[in-house]
Order: sequence, then structure tokens, then C-alpha cells
Amino acid sequence: MKPWARLLIVFGVVTPLVGFLAYGFTRDPREIPSPLIGRPAPPFTLPLFDGGTMKLEDLRGKVVFVNFWASWCPPCRAEARLLEASWRRHRGEEVVFLGINMQDREEPARAFLREFDITYANGIDAGNRIAIGYGIWGIPETFLIDRNGRITYKHIGALDAELIHAKIEEARQGVVSGREGKGDYRSIQ
Amino acid sequence: MTTARSSRVRTGRLLAALVGSLLLATAAGAKEDLEARVREIAAGLRCPVCQNLSVAESPSEMAREMRSLIADQLAAGTSPDEIRAYFVSKYGEWILLAPTARGFGLLLWVLPGLGAAAGLGGAAWVLRRWARRGATPPAPADAAALARVRAMVEEEASALTPEGARLVEGLRELEFDHRAGKLSDHDYEELRAVYETRAALALAAQDEPRRSAPAEGTTETPRAERAARAPAFRAWRWVAAALFLVGFGAAIGFFLPQSVRLRDGGSITGGLLTGTGNAALPLESRDLPALLDQGRRAMEAQDLGRALRLFQRALEVDPEHPAARAYLGLILLRGGHPDRALSEFDRALALEPKLTQALWGKGLVLYEIPGKTGEAIRTWEVLLAQDLSREDRDHVGSVLAQARQRLKQETKAAQKASR
Repeated sequence: MKPWARLLIVFGVVTPLVGFLAYGFTRDPREIPSPLIGRPAPPFTLPLFDGGTMKLEDLRGKVVFVNFWASWCPPCRAEARLLEASWRRHRGEEVVFLGINMQDREEPARAFLREFDITYANGIDAGNRIAIGYGIWGIPETFLIDRNGRITYKHIGALDAELIHAKIEEARQGVVSGREGKGDYRSIQ
Repeated sequence: MTTARSSRVRTGRLLAALVGSLLLATAAGAKEDLEARVREIAAGLRCPVCQNLSVAESPSEMAREMRSLIADQLAAGTSPDEIRAYFVSKYGEWILLAPTARGFGLLLWVLPGLGAAAGLGGAAWVLRRWARRGATPPAPADAAALARVRAMVEEEASALTPEGARLVEGLRELEFDHRAGKLSDHDYEELRAVYETRAALALAAQDEPRRSAPAEGTTETPRAERAARAPAFRAWRWVAAALFLVGFGAAIGFFLPQSVRLRDGGSITGGLLTGTGNAALPLESRDLPALLDQGRRAMEAQDLGRALRLFQRALEVDPEHPAARAYLGLILLRGGHPDRALSEFDRALALEPKLTQALWGKGLVLYEIPGKTGEAIRTWEVLLAQDLSREDRDHVGSVLAQARQRLKQETKAAQKASR
């Protein structure tokens, strides 16, 4: 075999391998791409903090903004004020905000709601069943559901105001986002 | 009569006890069976909040809930395949520890086998080549040359090519090893024959370097040619190896720092390798520098609660400490209280107008308030005039550029609105 041919073979094998390895380093090993976007939102019944329950099916015809949160998670705190402000801006426009508290204790969760003066509906997902149903792997995670009960957008991590309004508008028009959003998030247990 | 009755009663009791224990046993058996089935399904699912753990192995809350979900589903009569399909519909194929043999997943199943086959085949091929090369009987060398080689081994020879000298040296070492008892007689004979023949051939090539007539020494000329070309080969190999090493090093150097980040506790391994965490400082301490240092570390480790307590304690010790104020502001900002954060930053800046942390935080707060972008820019411009590390400077610079962009858009929108 000619030396250059041998060299070519070695490079031909090694370069893709190194490239593959390098690509692996750039990826977030925790990230799990969601298969739920564009699919019907999994139904659930959420027991609310103020008594009563909220059934997702009853919200057909409205855009639903579902946010999974915990009081111990800094990015959840960072976005809390923003979510409440967005809710106050959009309420009455056939938009429903729904907070789902998970992996938390009731007392600090209630304190969190008081601290940020949150007025939209919030409930506890005991046993993480709703969270599993939505394929949650980090916190906070946000889903937007259009009038027909289809998930149009998923975001992991803290949101910013412009994104919230843009995605609510898209959900209102039934536009499904091709890509998931990502911000500062925490791992759950 | 009484004995008969009592015996009947006894039998009845015995029977009841037997049936009862049987029922209990089957119940326990069913429970164990269910657990085993749960474990079997859970072992095939990847825990979504862990790394490289199955749902069966993980102690996390999420995995525990998943196991209880599987148990509930099994008890409700759902088949294992349906349960797996449920998890796949929520988390995608990602959740399966063994990917299905379809599409891209098939590649994962086939590639290792192909790789192993190619590797084994390649190894076998190379080994066969080596074996053949080793086994080639030493090409016949003429007796005169052999005699010369033996003479050279015996006495100090000169005027040899480097290769010839090397071979002669090798022969000497061989003999030494043989005498020292490190080589068996058989091995010694065989190796000596090979070395001697090679040395003789090298000698012949040296004597008649230009005699390349094909009629004579067909075995000699190619060898001589190869010997002449060998250094060129090696140079190529060295260059290739060096290039590969440089490339590999550059790739690692570029990607590793990007992917490695600080874990909780401020260390890359989280104290796993060294077993050292942060030595916790009691909150009652009055040691101001230590409080500030630990607070900063807690902040870096994202332990905002502890950082908050530490800085609050620092302010109890010295209420007029500007840096502690600024850090308190940064924590409040992260905790979603920009208004309170702003007042802390202002207090810190009143004490020390050029405090970098306070300038940075104040800019962040102002940037989030509609209509205050201009003020945020001015604050950050003051910050940029301070003594900053290069990294911080770059970061502030990029944020500032973004803010200026936004200000431009805002003024444009305002102009449009006024028209």
C-alpha cells in the first residue's frame, strides 16, 4: 500500500470519529427533545391551592399557558413577576394562565404565590403525574396550548416578556413552533 | 362425642389456617411478582433527571413516581409494551435505554457490530502480514558475506552503514542475552540466522549500491531500495502523527472548556474527587471578609438562600458595607425583586459611586423597566470606564451594544407614534 493511501485511510477513520466526539461535547446531555409539540395536550385535572379543581378539557376554545414551577427554583422566581404581569395584560382575551407546582411543599409554595402576588390559577401536582404526562425533565417548563387543545410551544427555563407575548399570539393563531425554547433552568430530582 | 366434636373443630381451625396462609402466600407472591414486573419495565427506561441511570436504579423522586405509575398501570391491566409506548409518547425514543431497531436506531445496533468486525478483520490482516514477514526464511546470502558479519560481531568494526552497525550491535546483544541465559538455544539460533542474513545483505547493498541489475540478487535489490526509502516513510508518519495530535489537542482544548462548567459547590466535580466542599462558616461569625467571600461562593454555586443569609449577616456587622449591599441587590434581582434590588444598588452607589457590582446590577434593573433603556446605557457606560477583567469587559460591551440597539428601535417607534 502506498504511504499516502494509508495516511488517507487513517485520516478518513479518525477525522469523523473526532468530529463526532467534538459534536457530543457541544450538546447538553440533560436535554430531552419533546415529542409533544404539535400534538394534543395530555388531559389533566389539577387540584387548586384555593380549593376547587381545574380540568384542562374545560378550557377548550381558550389559549392555555401552562407553567410548571417550584418555590425552590431560582429561575422560577426570576420569571414569576413577569408571568403575573403577562397574565394581567392578557386576562380577558380568552387566555388562561395555569401554574402547576411540583416537587415542592405546600407551605413554601403558598408563600411563593403570596410573595409575588400571583393571581392566576395554581395547583399542586402531587405524585408528579401531570409532569410525567408532559415529559418534564427540568424546571421551570412552560407549554402553550391553542384553542383546539394542541401544544404549540414548549420552553424550558425562564421566559422573557417579549417571548411570552409572541408565543401567546402564535398560539392564538394556532401556529406551532418548530423549535423548543431554552433559558436558565434547574434540574429536578 | 365431645372428643369427636373437638377434633372436628380442630380440623376446621386447621383448614381455615391453611387456607388463610395459602391466601396470604399468594397475595405476597402476587406483590413480589408485580414488583419484579415493574422492575423489568423500569430497567429499560432512562431516568430523565439523572445521567446514565435507569428508572429502576435511580433514587430520584421522579424515578420513584415513574415506578409507582408503572405499578398502577400494571395493576390496571396495561401491557408492558403499552406502558413503554406511553413513556415514549411523553419523552420520545430518548427514554428507552435500548433504542428500537428502526431508522437511526438501527444504525446504533448495527454500527458496533460492523466496527468490531472491521477491527477484528483489520487486526487479523495485519497480524497475518507481520507473521508472513517474520516467517520469510532469511534470503540466501553468500557465505563470504556471512563470514564477514561474524567477524564484525567478534571485533570492533568500522566503516559500516548505520543500519549495518545497528544489526551488528543487535547480534552482539543477542549473544550477550544468550550467555546470560535469557534466550533459549533454539530462539538464539533462529534470531541469529535472521540478523546475520540481514546484516550480510546490508553489507552487500553497501558494497554495491548501484548494482541493481535484475538478473542478480532479485531479493536483495528491493530490500536495499526499501531501506533507502525508509527514512522518508518515517518522516511522513511523524508528520501525520504530529498533525493528528495537534488537531486532537485543539479540538479538546476548544470544546472541553465549553462543556465543563462549575457544579454546585464551585468545583467541576462537585467535590466528588477531592471530598472537599466549602468549609461552612457559621452565620454568627463577625469576620467580614470571610462572610463576603463565602457569600460570593454561595452565589456562584447558585445557593442563593445561603448567599442571602451571609450578606445580610455581613450588613448586620457593617451596615455601610457597599459591596455587601451590592451583592444583596444582585440576589434580590435574581429572586425576582427588581424594585428592592434597585434601592440596594442606589445605597451601595451612594457609599461608593464606582462600585462595579452595583453599577452592573443597576443597569440590569433599569434595562428591564420600559423607557429606562437610556439610563441603563449610561450606567453601564460608567461601569465600562472602570477597571474590569477582559471577560467582564467583553460581556458588558455586548450587553451594551444590545441595549443601544434597543434604544434605537424604541426611539424610532416613539417617533412613529408621535407622527
